[in-house]
Amino acid sequence: MMLKTLPIALMFTAAAALAEPGSVARNTELKDKPFLDAKTTAKLAAGSPVDIINRQGAWIQLKTREGQTGWAKLLNIRSSNTSQGVSILGAVTKVASVAKTGSSGNTVTTGVKGLSEEQIRNAKANPEEVERMYEYSVSETDARKYASQNKLVAQKIADIAVK
Amino acid sequence: MKKQLLIVTASACLTLAGCATTGGNVDLKQVGKVFGSAYDSVRSYSPEEEEEIGSRVMADLLGAAPLVRDPALQRYVNQVGHWIALQSDKPGLTWRFGVTNDPHVNSFAAPSGYILITKGLFDLLKTEAELATVLAHEITHVTKGHHVRAMKATARGGLVTGLAKVGAQASGKQGADLAANAFSGGTEIFTRGFDKQDEYDADVGGMVLAARAGYNPYALPSVLNTLSNINPKDDAVALLFQTHPKTNDRLDKIDASIGTKLEPYAGGVENTPSFARFSKAKK
Repeated sequence: MMLKTLPIALMFTAAAALAEPGSVARNTELKDKPFLDAKTTAKLAAGSPVDIINRQGAWIQLKTREGQTGWAKLLNIRSSNTSQGVSILGAVTKVASVAKTGSSGNTVTTGVKGLSEEQIRNAKANPEEVERMYEYSVSETDARKYASQNKLVAQKIADIAVK
Repeated sequence: MKKQLLIVTASACLTLAGCATTGGNVDLKQVGKVFGSAYDSVRSYSPEEEEEIGSRVMADLLGAAPLVRDPALQRYVNQVGHWIALQSDKPGLTWRFGVTNDPHVNSFAAPSGYILITKGLFDLLKTEAELATVLAHEITHVTKGHHVRAMKATARGGLVTGLAKVGAQASGKQGADLAANAFSGGTEIFTRGFDKQDEYDADVGGMVLAARAGYNPYALPSVLNTLSNINPKDDAVALLFQTHPKTNDRLDKIDASIGTKLEPYAGGVENTPSFARFSKAKK
C-alpha cells in the first residue's frame, strides 16, 4: 500500500515544490513539523523575509534568512512581490485615441484576443459556444463517479460568516 | 429560445405601468425609463429568466474568447466543478463549466449555473485543490445570487437597455441590431465587478464549499498568493484586479473569518492524476 502510493505522493510534492520570496504577515511560530503540537523551533517576527519552499494543508514550509527551515501557518505568510512581479502578457498600454472601436479614449491595446475589459465590451455574441458548453457538461452520476475514483469524500461543514 | 425571450418580455412588462405590447409596439425609451425606476422592487428572477440572462452574458464572454478545443479538458473541469456544485445549496442547477482560450487570468460566473475559467488562470494553478477553490468561489457567486445584487446596482445603466432590447426582439420590432450587439447590461457586471463584500463572501463560502467537497480549502490562499506575485500592471490581470478587492485584503478577510476553523479539512485531497495530465504549471 505504502509502496504503491509513494511515487504519486512524491510526484505531487515535486510538482508543488516552490522557491518564492515571502514575508511574515504577523508574528508566528516556526514549527519543525506541519502540526499545531509540533515543536516550536523559532519565533518569526512580522515583516521578516522568508523563502517559501512548499505548502501542505494549512501550513507552509519556509526557510528563514538565518537559514532555519520549518513550518508556519499558511495564512501568516504572504508571497511578496518581487520588484515588478511575474510578467504574463506584458504591461497594459493606454492609447490616447484609438480609432478601431471608437468607443472611448480609454481603449486598451494588447493585440491579444480574450477577456480584457475592452474586448468584453465589444464582444459579438457567440451562442454556438454556449451550446457547446452544454454539450461538455457532465451528469450528476458522472460527477459522483469522478469523486469516488479520486477519493473525494463529502464533508458536513457549517457555514462560516465573513468577519 | 423565442419562448424564453417572450418570458423576459412578459416579466419586464409586469413591472411597467401601462406597458402596451399589443401589436409589438413597445416604446423602448419608455421601457427603459420605467423599468429602471421600478427595478429596485424586483427581488429575484425566475429560473427561466436566470437562464436567459446567464446564456446571454455567456454568449458575449465566449464571443470575446471561445472555449478551448479540448473535450477531455472541458469534461475534466466539468467533473470537478459539478461535484463541488453538488455540495452547494443549489445542487440541481444545470451546472456548466468551461475553459476559455484566453491568456488573461480570470474566472467568471453567470446566473443559472454557468462558470468559466480562462486558460491563463488554469495554467497558473498548481493543484486540483487550487482549481476546486477557484470554481467553488465562482459557484458561490451563483448560489448566493450576487448577480442579482450587481444588476440592481447597474439597473440605471446597461441592464435596462439590455432587457429592453430583448423585449424589442421578442415583440418582433427593432430587434435587428440585437444579435450583433453585446448584452451590455449583463456583461457590465464583468467589467464593473461585484460588491467587495460579495467577493469576500465568495472567498469564504468557496473555501467552505471546497472543504465540503473533500478538498484542502487552504488552496485558495495559495492561489491568491500566486496572483499577488504577478506584476499588477500586466494586462493579464488588469480586469481581475480592477474587479476584485486587493489580494492582501482578501487574505486578511480569509484569515479573520476562517483562520484555523477549516484546519480539520486541510488534509483533504490536494491533487489527482487527472489534474497532472492537464496542468501546465511546472513549479
